[in-house]
Amino acid sequence: MNIRHPLPTRSWSLSRRRFIEGAGAAGIAAAVGSHGVNAAGSKVVVGTWGGDYQNLIQKNIVPLLQPASIEVVYATDQQPPRMTKMLAEARLPRGTMDISALARNGSYEMYKAGTLLEPDISKIPNAKHLLPQVSVPYAVPHIYSGRVILYNPKFVTEKPTSYADLWDPKYTGRVGVIDVQYLPTIESAAMISGGGLSDYEPGKAKLLELKKMGCKIVPTNEAMAQALKTEEIWMCIMWKARGVMWRNAGIPIEIAAPKEGFVLFISDFCIPKNAPNKEGAYAFLNAMLDPKPQEGFIEDMGYNPSVSDVELTTAMAKRVRFSAEEQANLLVPDYGYLAKNDAQLKEWWDKGFKA
Amino acid sequence: MVDRMAAPAIPRKASSHLTATMLVGPATVVVVAMLLLPLVILFRYSLNRFVPGQFMVEALTLENYAKVFFDPYYRTVLSRTAGIAALCTALCLVIGYPAAYLLARTQSRFKTLLILLVVMPLFVGSAVRAAGWMVVFGHRGAFNAALLWLGVVRTPLEIMFTPVAVIVGITGVNLPFMVLTLQSVIEGIDPVLEEAALGLGAPPLAVFRRVTLPLSLPGVVAGSLLCFILAMNAYATPVLLGGPRFQMMAPVVYTQISEQANWPLGGALAFVLMAATLLMTVGAGALVRRRSRQAH
Repeated sequence: MNIRHPLPTRSWSLSRRRFIEGAGAAGIAAAVGSHGVNAAGSKVVVGTWGGDYQNLIQKNIVPLLQPASIEVVYATDQQPPRMTKMLAEARLPRGTMDISALARNGSYEMYKAGTLLEPDISKIPNAKHLLPQVSVPYAVPHIYSGRVILYNPKFVTEKPTSYADLWDPKYTGRVGVIDVQYLPTIESAAMISGGGLSDYEPGKAKLLELKKMGCKIVPTNEAMAQALKTEEIWMCIMWKARGVMWRNAGIPIEIAAPKEGFVLFISDFCIPKNAPNKEGAYAFLNAMLDPKPQEGFIEDMGYNPSVSDVELTTAMAKRVRFSAEEQANLLVPDYGYLAKNDAQLKEWWDKGFKA
Repeated sequence: MVDRMAAPAIPRKASSHLTATMLVGPATVVVVAMLLLPLVILFRYSLNRFVPGQFMVEALTLENYAKVFFDPYYRTVLSRTAGIAALCTALCLVIGYPAAYLLARTQSRFKTLLILLVVMPLFVGSAVRAAGWMVVFGHRGAFNAALLWLGVVRTPLEIMFTPVAVIVGITGVNLPFMVLTLQSVIEGIDPVLEEAALGLGAPPLAVFRRVTLPLSLPGVVAGSLLCFILAMNAYATPVLLGGPRFQMMAPVVYTQISEQANWPLGGALAFVLMAATLLMTVGAGALVRRRSRQAH
């Protein structure tokens, strides 16, 4: 159940220009639609990870709800405690959250546990633009990215083309893996050792080879950024969005596409069955899918929009987007497999790999 | 005095009972509500079963405790935690005793300032202090930069994410507790006793061994137990300085409860940690007291 949101945690400040843009966005509040009117004057409780993600919700989505006097209140916590709370509240007629932001494996687990409402798409006019690759009946996708290889071109002179390149003896001791990204790491190893998205087991032996080669294990995404910056680590796997943000921050890396495909990270919003303010939740979801806030998330976080009506014209959007060819190579994780195996994979990671 | 003696005995007892209840009552309510009840609930959870995808399934099983005791991984983490805690406590004692003695005996007008300097690290959380050590210990940190500049090493030393970093970090966090506890006890020892021993011809080391140390033993025991308990339960320092491979108990408990949502195993680990800390603390305290009695 350990789902670490891979969104960047850099800080940001609200400049006057941004504020005016936000205020301008409020002018298109008609996008909130009739549901905004139904939910007018109400309070929507949104469960999020907090940090920059929450700040960006406040900056990009909330202004669209203000004309309808919908107040957004946050229930901030890491994903597993929020999921536990949703399970604990499932028997109650009224829960405490109207919306919960969950990574897709979390929303899948909550759906299977029977806690989620299948959203009525007719109440979310903007949902007609949702990309089919990231759509599911139990959640409304917000943003997505795909997994890539990051490398330092000064030391890794041949551009990597496969996850297998991380096992190249030339880079012994200079490949890094991230502790909190244990699932994508085992998955990547499985994809080049006879396993796949529904069978991570072969990846375990493959990762032990990497351990023998002296790979470095860093605790967090931020620690990896630091190690890439100081050139202690030359190559790692990471979400493309983070790679773009790190490059923009001056970290000396390039982004390479693995021929095995781009495994998706999808960030969803879900409505619990016992959400007290469902109309408000629909209004929030509709505002969230509006092109303006979606653009905001591209510019500020480097994630791809979940809707097709966003113009990807800025330099940032061009760096973030997947080409048509890459788009065809997007892979969706097997969330059923993950729900059943996360605990044992984490146990192996701690005892078999890290120890 | 006359008034008190003249007061009737029974009402006085009743009023003192009432006063005692009023004094102890609020604290008792807070402890029961905020500590004991959650502990009872957590203990009940530790007997439940964790089923992936279903969170916690109601049960009455000892399998979580069996896992903690019989799985070599958790046994290693527990013994490592106890070892690190004991080592850090010993270091705190060795480093802290001279400083505490100096603070207790100094007649300097800067004494208050010196005590303030000892207390000052407590103004900052252990996570912030660990962040400071990260700057010092990093590959390109101040320590490595100094060693490289002095020509002591040619390539930077790997200090971050090693047991050494954790030991230094925890010792740094716990040292003020040891110094302050020892200082208050040493201040209570009359310097005349040491002067008398010296006057009778005892060398300084013998004075320390035969007079100062035995008399300061209550402070040594109290300071050591405090440091040991703090080190056994250290969280931020092992996480930030120990890195992903160096596991201690408190971070493992956190991982199970907050990241894996495995409350039953997390609960069992928490109770084992608490019991181990309590047993070792009580055991060490009893041992020192017995030795002390034998010495007398």
